[in-house]
Amino acid sequence: MNIAVCVKQVPDTETRIKLTDDHKAVNEDDINFILNPYDEFAVEEALQLKEKNDGEVTIISLGPDRVTSAIRSALAMGADKAIHIKAEQHPADPAVTAEALAAVLKEGNYDLILLGKQAIDDDHTQMASLLAEELDLPAVTVVIKLDIEGDKITAEREIDGAHEVVECSLPAIIAAQRGLNEPRYASLKGIMRAKKIQIEAKEMSLADGQLEIVEFNYPPQKSAGKIVGDSADAVPELLRLLHEEAKVI
Amino acid sequence: MSKNVKPSFSKALFSGVLLDELVFPYPEMDKEEKENFELMRESFKKFAQDKIDSEKIDKEAQIPQEIIDEMKELGLFGMIIPEEYDGFGFSTTAYVKMLEAVTEQDPSVALTLGAHQSIGLKALLMFGTEEQKKKYLPKLATGEMIAAYCLTEPGAGSDAAGIKTRAVRDEKKGVYVLNGSKIWITNGGIADFFTVFAKEPIADTKGDEHDKISAFIVTRDMPGVSSGKEEDKLGIKGSSTTEVFFDNVEVPFENLLGQRGKGFKVAMEVLNSGRLGLAGGTLGGIRKVLKDAMDHITQREQFRKKLAEFELIKKKVSQIAVDMFAAESMIYLTTAMIDRGDVDYSLESAMCKIKATEVGWESINECLQMVGGLGYMNEYPFQRALRDVRINPIFEGTNEILRLFIALAGMQERGEYLKKIGGALKDPIKGFGLLTDYATEWVVNRVTTERIRDVHPSLTKAKADFENWAKNLHFAAERVLIHYGKNIIYREMVSERLANAAIDLYGMIATISRVDTLIKKKGEEKCQREIQLCNAFAEQAWRRIRRNLLMTDKNIDKDLKEIAEFMTEEKQYPFETE
Repeated sequence: MNIAVCVKQVPDTETRIKLTDDHKAVNEDDINFILNPYDEFAVEEALQLKEKNDGEVTIISLGPDRVTSAIRSALAMGADKAIHIKAEQHPADPAVTAEALAAVLKEGNYDLILLGKQAIDDDHTQMASLLAEELDLPAVTVVIKLDIEGDKITAEREIDGAHEVVECSLPAIIAAQRGLNEPRYASLKGIMRAKKIQIEAKEMSLADGQLEIVEFNYPPQKSAGKIVGDSADAVPELLRLLHEEAKVI
Repeated sequence: MSKNVKPSFSKALFSGVLLDELVFPYPEMDKEEKENFELMRESFKKFAQDKIDSEKIDKEAQIPQEIIDEMKELGLFGMIIPEEYDGFGFSTTAYVKMLEAVTEQDPSVALTLGAHQSIGLKALLMFGTEEQKKKYLPKLATGEMIAAYCLTEPGAGSDAAGIKTRAVRDEKKGVYVLNGSKIWITNGGIADFFTVFAKEPIADTKGDEHDKISAFIVTRDMPGVSSGKEEDKLGIKGSSTTEVFFDNVEVPFENLLGQRGKGFKVAMEVLNSGRLGLAGGTLGGIRKVLKDAMDHITQREQFRKKLAEFELIKKKVSQIAVDMFAAESMIYLTTAMIDRGDVDYSLESAMCKIKATEVGWESINECLQMVGGLGYMNEYPFQRALRDVRINPIFEGTNEILRLFIALAGMQERGEYLKKIGGALKDPIKGFGLLTDYATEWVVNRVTTERIRDVHPSLTKAKADFENWAKNLHFAAERVLIHYGKNIIYREMVSERLANAAIDLYGMIATISRVDTLIKKKGEEKCQREIQLCNAFAEQAWRRIRRNLLMTDKNIDKDLKEIAEFMTEEKQYPFETE
């Protein structure tokens, strides 16, 4: 099985995000970048499918030079090949990324395209659907269980309060949700092996996007806690505040 | 000057020579290795956060076998073993940084890996024959065999001359017959590969036999090898610590490590390079606890202020940062010295171990203090961190013995230079158990240089202080040598002060070099914090140095010794108010 996994490099979830002075971008100094956690599930699934059915796993990522370290992470887990679509930065408009990825995916003739359900930095959650449109393929998103028999895919999706089971046939696009599998940890052996793999660099002129980032803002400071009372009398007021102000119930 | 003697920054320092080419510019990791290391660190962090439960490891006093097995899969047992023997060929720098990352997650786990690679298999790596390496290193790299370093005995700790384990050659069988026991052996209960130091009678040129120490490879499958029960320890409870017994163990001649009778040298060189793992690991231990403490002080309020806003809390937090910065600078300057291979790093290695382990104890203790009563509760991890870090100033050479080593080995060269006492000085120091076997004399013909190269203007004051107090250390050492002569080995309080001054000087030069190099790379503006840390350390350090050196001449050592002797007779505190 010929599998492609589209991955994105994102800031580590533990990184404290600082903005540039003009608030138009994230200040990348001192940021630790990682492979998008949802993409790890996609890589793991690809590797398991490869182990079961033979084949090859190709990692594809778009972005500046630094994204090669995320590609290396995926290779270190056990992927075979990698393509780096060079770009000065990640486009603000996911459609631009989708178009570029699609161009590369078309050349590869893949049986299956996997990716994370969303990137944890800009959270657009659009890539699977955009690629489906570009490539005219079925896409199944938020997948927590995947079975492939011959050409037939059975995928279980996580939807609000329930699971949905859908079927489609290869080739298709699958967007992984947490729970799909337990990603393996890169071993030193895998890391050394990955070092020897040449990452194919692709220069490509990207389309102009239709979205523009106007401004980033820090999340509001958490306000101090409030003590409503210390007896059962305070419960109604607490409920009201939790419902109306905090909006958690 | 003998040809094989390698230059030592700190030994030269005692002699008034500043070998700044050994410490400038501050070393940087090889780019490719850095990438490998960072990938591995990331991968291990994920693994640890998913799988390692430090509270459980501490409570059950055992690391679950699945964790050990998975770490073998990850390749963590073969980090420092060269690729040609199926390892991953990490430099000392990358290896120590990895141990730092592992300790941050769990000190018992780090110690298991550290005892295996920093000391357990290190003698094989440094002194083994090609056949020995081919036979064992691949198995050690995968963790199929786990290694332990067996030096300490009931009667022999820092004083290796007290070793009672004996090896007797049986020429007919072609084996050494090994008898004796070793105590407090890390990995003792789980190891399959033991580096064992034992005494064997060796004839000198006249044919007289003397007991000399030799090193041997002993494996678990040899009949007569056994381990005692797991020790119940204060901390690092998950790591295995046992007695190891050798009862008529037949060790083939080919398992001799290094030359016959040269086991001393083997033991020392292994420890010299191995100590860095412990030093680096300690930093990781602080990192973890500090994060927990910072969470607390940025949340808890008293008098309507966050704890972090109080000046006495700020003092603690900044002191931890200053000390960690200095210790870190020293450690990774020294690991690079080990990796370049052409420098004598024995003193620096001891300095890093002392500095890091004391900073570790103090910083973790201060973190516990910052969180107050909560830190004392077993429900929180602070007490565990304090228990775990407490061993560090004790093992791999107590900090006391290492201070004496630093001072005496530092002065040894100067002693030689001062011919009038040179001969008198050398023998007693050489008789000082474990600590010697170091070549000397190499700086003898160097002209005293009191200046180091120019550094960035923001560090000029620190540099000038370094130069000034380096000169003063040299003068103090010389005064001490002339005053005490060979008796300096009995003036431990004097030696300790010189060692402390030397450690601070090494800390100063390491931070200056690090920040100066960083400014060259990033520009002054981006290094403001580092400049501040460097200058803060330098200010604190030279004041400590001044105090230590002033006390070379003016002190109350005599009174203190008399009080101690009185107490020793009384064996208790015999006073009470009227």
